[in-house]
Amino acid sequence: MFALAAQMPALTPRDSAFHALNRLAYGARPGEADSVAQFGVMKWIERQLDADHVSDARLAERERAFKILEYDRADLAGRYRDAERERQRLQREAVATGDSTLMRDARPMQEFRELGGQLQQLAIVRAALSERQLREVMVDFWTNHFNVFVGKGADRFLLPSYIEETIRPRALGRFEDLLIATAQSPAMPFYLDNAQSVAPGSAAPPPRGSFFPLRRRFGMNEMPEERRQRRPTGINENYARELLELHTLGVDGGYTQQDIIEVARIFTGWSIEPPERGAGFVFRDWAHDRGTKQVFGLTFQDDGKDEGIRLLKFLANQHATMHHVSAKLCTRFVADEPPDGCIDAAVAAWQKTRGDIRAVLRAIFTSPDFWTPQVVRSKVKTPLEFVVSALRATGIEPDTSPRLAQLVARLGEPLYQQPAPTGYAETEVHWVNSGALLARMNAAMAIAKDCSSVPAIEDHAQLVDLIDRQLLAGTMSAHTKSVILEQLADITDPMQARALAVGLALGGPDFQKQ
Amino acid sequence: MTISRRVFVRSGSLALVSLGLDPLFLARAAFAAGRPAVRASDRPTLVCLFQRGAVDGLNMIVPHGEPAYYQERPRIAVPTGSVVDLDGHFGLHPSLAPLKELWDAKSLAAIHAIGSPDATRSHFDAQDYMETGTPGVKTTGDGWVNRYCQHDREHADTPFRAVAFGPQLPRILAGSAPSLAIDDLQAFGLRVPQEAARDRLTRAFEELYDGAGTGLLASSSREGFEAVQMLKRADPTQYRPAAGADYPPGRLGKTLLQIAQLIKADVGLEIAFADCGGWDTHVNQGSSDGQLAARLRELGLALAAFNRDLGDRMRNVVVLTMSEFGRTIRENGNSGTDHGHATAMLALGGPVNGGRLLGRWPGLALEQRFEGRDVAVTTDFRDLFGEILARHLGATDLGTVFPGYTPSPGRFLGAIRG
Repeated sequence: MFALAAQMPALTPRDSAFHALNRLAYGARPGEADSVAQFGVMKWIERQLDADHVSDARLAERERAFKILEYDRADLAGRYRDAERERQRLQREAVATGDSTLMRDARPMQEFRELGGQLQQLAIVRAALSERQLREVMVDFWTNHFNVFVGKGADRFLLPSYIEETIRPRALGRFEDLLIATAQSPAMPFYLDNAQSVAPGSAAPPPRGSFFPLRRRFGMNEMPEERRQRRPTGINENYARELLELHTLGVDGGYTQQDIIEVARIFTGWSIEPPERGAGFVFRDWAHDRGTKQVFGLTFQDDGKDEGIRLLKFLANQHATMHHVSAKLCTRFVADEPPDGCIDAAVAAWQKTRGDIRAVLRAIFTSPDFWTPQVVRSKVKTPLEFVVSALRATGIEPDTSPRLAQLVARLGEPLYQQPAPTGYAETEVHWVNSGALLARMNAAMAIAKDCSSVPAIEDHAQLVDLIDRQLLAGTMSAHTKSVILEQLADITDPMQARALAVGLALGGPDFQKQ
Repeated sequence: MTISRRVFVRSGSLALVSLGLDPLFLARAAFAAGRPAVRASDRPTLVCLFQRGAVDGLNMIVPHGEPAYYQERPRIAVPTGSVVDLDGHFGLHPSLAPLKELWDAKSLAAIHAIGSPDATRSHFDAQDYMETGTPGVKTTGDGWVNRYCQHDREHADTPFRAVAFGPQLPRILAGSAPSLAIDDLQAFGLRVPQEAARDRLTRAFEELYDGAGTGLLASSSREGFEAVQMLKRADPTQYRPAAGADYPPGRLGKTLLQIAQLIKADVGLEIAFADCGGWDTHVNQGSSDGQLAARLRELGLALAAFNRDLGDRMRNVVVLTMSEFGRTIRENGNSGTDHGHATAMLALGGPVNGGRLLGRWPGLALEQRFEGRDVAVTTDFRDLFGEILARHLGATDLGTVFPGYTPSPGRFLGAIRG
């Protein structure tokens, strides 16, 4: 801790607390920088790492309003199948009768479109209200690292269980467990097509009632001949490639096209049940490639599902994986181009603990790189971070309407709707452009109208000081202050003055940074 | 003038910002001073459409004269009968039929077997290489379109010179030259009902960002406000497509309509860029009908409508489609195709030397393939991009646009009329 202290002279305790709240949390609520500073910032960080022991009663109360949390995956799967059948029936009818309004009026998939909307709202409510802020930040991080696109077929109904049962419980656990869990969560094999990757020449046993092709169950309107033709007959490389490139080793991880093929062969048979059987993960022995697979100096042969598990465990603890994921974490928490020091510290902690995510994070937060004054307020907020931090700063309780989720979407980050497996980017160059900035200014003016953390007082100088303290923990620049004061000069209505001043503060450059 | 956004972020941002210096800002300030005016309506325009996800070039421009094509794709090949024949050997996918009259009018060309010299089959790497214009080099910070704008500056001072349609600025436009991302032309600007109040708020934010610390925030906002002013004068809210042009519903049609709008508004648009996705057809790709057919239908209808809408203005416009790589020659186990190598591109417009297939066709026989499975690349995409920049936009220094590469007119395909 001595080395740490020596690095910190430029940061006051309140600055340090504000920095920690900006990075480990979705920004500070009014007064929170002071209370965390008083509590002790390192002690607060430890509490955040130990999220299970932080009480979160208020959020639990709000979560009760989200019916999505009561849904069972099998239940949803059944309803999805029914909706899909109804859609196909309507489609046939529309073709037969030439009545194109049938589909528009009935909208059989509406429930599932709304499901995605509910998930987005829930994410925003949690990010804004949870006392376990670091866990929410990490859930967002892993949701993007192991991205699944909610708009793809069955993922419309598989995403809730992916987020609730796969990502959330493991967000601060061990990387290896998380990796294995994502590989076996039905949303992922469906999203990256592994559900349909089978050993060449393999064939499903005679169906009991219904079985393959999966596709039919998941929404293609087909003739029997096409159905037969579309039965999977070989491997699909999609999951294997993204597993290596995005989830583990990284694009520079030193693997070849042949490695990808071998990995795809290892994962043949990792599939999902059709919706009428609950759409759960299943390992299909008949679809698995029993031949010899050689990759990364390892040999896999006729060991069924265990081959994939063994490979995932191997990948989870490769140096390239540790480095790739640690660098990504440092990009999120430290700087867009993170210094080597914090990455090395994270990798060392990973090695020592075999991928305990808490230990890796602790190494980053205690690295001198995390506390250098240059990185403080150097990162631009993502759209989600911008909107949620504005809610927290202004004391606005997120409602259950789709308004806030739509706002985040308009700023370029519709949650769970990134079709590319990369997930959303973390760095400024992806988010800052003239159109996006104008959109943030509009969002700021809209949010400012509901601000409850600043009273509408008559004295403009006092008003601006108060906004500085409540929204920016005293970090508002002199320039921002003087521009806002100038704008207020001819405004006499205190409500109007507050709305304008808060809007300019939220939409201005200071609040874009964290 | 070579300070890129990436370099700025990577090496100097922390130190320089803390000193109050700002290389990107300085670079952009220099641009504002350097551009003499040219009449906007005489300016050539390039429209780039990026088919993200790797379009299957073989089902877009179908080699129906190749038996191997049908052997390798028993379930997804486009039957000879439904291909829109072009030259007896190649033909358009039936969904692209609306483009046939442009081919016949010699304003549409297809480029086959084009791609990257880099072998990667990663979408993200390959897109990055195609956008930075430096295959195999990951550290390039700026995009080739932006570098073109950095080095050829004999244009009127306009924030609309390089515009991307979408909420995010793509890599291809990233860099020190000003560029704009517009999600929706109608909604671009601050949303305040009364004009006077809107102008006032605009000025307030403008002033706030004038004092902003980092380059990107300051320069992006400045470019944004400049654009807002120009759009206000051009008044795009009154736009109606000409000649009964009927854009298909959906994002692509809307985007091309807005690009046509900007071209006609004479705000100085030189390069427009738009994404169009949905090409990563690993599963159930379809043949004459199906998934890919639907995407191609939207593309064909949108391009045809754009061409009709612009009418005579197409004499100065080139539309170029591009995609990060092609797909496997052989269909996969799911009636789809996996990531491949070379793909096909389309060039459309008055200056295009159309009615021709350009590039050397490598053939589909096993020994003619790349790594035994994919269409080989016979044209480096930089040869095509370079030719269009030089012969259509009048670029003088391709060496700086594509560093590490020496473009040679000898390798140009003849895509632009001489």
